[in-house]
Amino acid sequence: MELIGILSPMSIMLCFLGVLIGIIFGSIPGMTATMAIAIFLPITYALDMIDSIGLLIGLYVGGISGGLVPAILLNIPGTPSSLCTTFDGYPMTQNGQGEKALKVGITASVIGGLLSLTILYFFAPLLASVAIDFSSVEKFLIIIFALTIIASISKGSLLVGMFSGILGVFISLIGTFADNNEMRLIPPGLEDQLVYGFSLLPVLIGLFAIGQMLIEAEEGMKPATHQNIELNKGEKSKFKFRVFKNQIVNLCRSSVLGTFIGILPGVGGSAASITAYSQAKSFSKKPGNFGKGEPEGLIASESANNGLTGGALIPLLSLGIPGDSTTAILIGAFLLQGIEVGPLFIPTNPDLWSGIIFALILANIVMFALMFFSIRYFAKIVYIPKYIIFPIIIVMCAVGSYAINNGVMFDVWTLLLFGLAGYIFMKIGIQIPPFLIGFILGAQCEKYFIDSLKGSGGDLTIFFTNGPVAIGLWVLIIAALAYAIFDNLRSKKNETREAA
Amino acid sequence: MEDLLTVELTFSEYHIIFPRIIITILLILGAMIVFRYFYKRVKQGSSKKREFSFFMANYDKSKLFGSAILLFLYPFMMELLGFLISTILFMFVITLLFIGKVQKKALFTSLTNALATTFVVWYVFGQVFDITLP
Repeated sequence: MELIGILSPMSIMLCFLGVLIGIIFGSIPGMTATMAIAIFLPITYALDMIDSIGLLIGLYVGGISGGLVPAILLNIPGTPSSLCTTFDGYPMTQNGQGEKALKVGITASVIGGLLSLTILYFFAPLLASVAIDFSSVEKFLIIIFALTIIASISKGSLLVGMFSGILGVFISLIGTFADNNEMRLIPPGLEDQLVYGFSLLPVLIGLFAIGQMLIEAEEGMKPATHQNIELNKGEKSKFKFRVFKNQIVNLCRSSVLGTFIGILPGVGGSAASITAYSQAKSFSKKPGNFGKGEPEGLIASESANNGLTGGALIPLLSLGIPGDSTTAILIGAFLLQGIEVGPLFIPTNPDLWSGIIFALILANIVMFALMFFSIRYFAKIVYIPKYIIFPIIIVMCAVGSYAINNGVMFDVWTLLLFGLAGYIFMKIGIQIPPFLIGFILGAQCEKYFIDSLKGSGGDLTIFFTNGPVAIGLWVLIIAALAYAIFDNLRSKKNETREAA
Repeated sequence: MEDLLTVELTFSEYHIIFPRIIITILLILGAMIVFRYFYKRVKQGSSKKREFSFFMANYDKSKLFGSAILLFLYPFMMELLGFLISTILFMFVITLLFIGKVQKKALFTSLTNALATTFVVWYVFGQVFDITLP
């Protein structure tokens, strides 16, 4: 079988482990798939690329799926992407149908995941083959487009979102510019430490894990209140696959929606699940039941957020642009192994490409098997006290940051600095996802900008006159901005109407 | 700069062209945010002052500042005492801080958490995967 040939037994085992740990992370409110991947990234340093892909994909799929457990049982989304799962999942638990709700969610998840990876398999090479001919002008504009979308859909205002993204670009410029080997923007006294700028990994882990830890510490590390939940009440509450009989259209629509929302850079899982949920509601024959424990809504939300996993990988593997903050961290994994993701990735690394696909299939199946048959045990994870988990996470973050460049204490300081920054950002409203994507893409953005200007002799009009693709990208950028402004105005109008 | 649509390219100045543009955009956006903030306040009038507080109401002072200080001390301890001793100490104190009370059970939990984590991290990272530890 080809599967065994491409994925070594080691990577299959790691994928299994990744799913398990991912589910645990997803199940604990406040911890996300992104955090799980960030923390385990340093381990991949010691692994082969294919083995680390197994582990990371496992963590990704497990982390997104695990979020449904607290969403259904406690009415707290374990990850932002399971927000809409609470709408119908929790009422089902209150009706004594907890186990049924969990199993419906798990089945919807695996179908969403598998459908989206089929789309990934056919769509990513196609997009990559178009992108191969792009010059630095188009590449620059794609990055600008990605940053615009992220800024325009981020919570709060467009201005602040754009500010956050550009701030990320700015921080990424600290260090040396490779073209002429000149240093810039380095604070005096830190020239030795910052010759190459801040390392990616400590910045990522700091923003996500340490910042979140400080927020939780401020709230007093309260454990989830322990309630006695009756998972299964009576014969009527038993899970049967018959629930899905009339849901095939809903399943496919939600999975495909989730996948395509995942393709848009920076649009996270919560948007996917909200869109699919509202679509399912408007197409449903019994929209009145939504929000009262209707499996249909649960199916929409869960298949959409797992559909996201394949979708978010499409721009990453074909253009080198991450679809969400989790895939942004996956870029870090590729860079650690010295592999550059971009249009050439699939043609030059065919083994790795099929490895990713197989790992996704495997992770989805493992996730289903693990959760479906032992959901009663996973249901207990939501009660693991945070005061045990967070200290462990800090130590793993510190060790990981230290190890990433083979023992540099400055990286641990970077971790703490950005942890503090992440905490302050969350307080004053600076958006972390745009900041992060700006930070990751900043250096490339500059390189393509300068390369384009070199080609045109400094003429800035090159960005508008370089063929139809460039003009198309400008249209997209303007459309994204216009949508954001329109959306902003509309929600303001609604606010004033509600206030009046 | 010759005119607005042309950038003068000199090899020795490649590295400052883009940062200059980014800083300019940042300043413009920052100014717009500040302007909008004050514009809103003036429009709303001084009667309805919007209170902004950095910390949430009734926030846990000891846990927040305690963990921040411990985080700051941890790297120093690692350089002084090495990974094993400093991590056991750090884990013990921070778990105790997060539990928030000194009782026999809390002490026991913290100690177990400290010893188990330190050993597992040391073994898995340092020995199995051969990753450099502080």
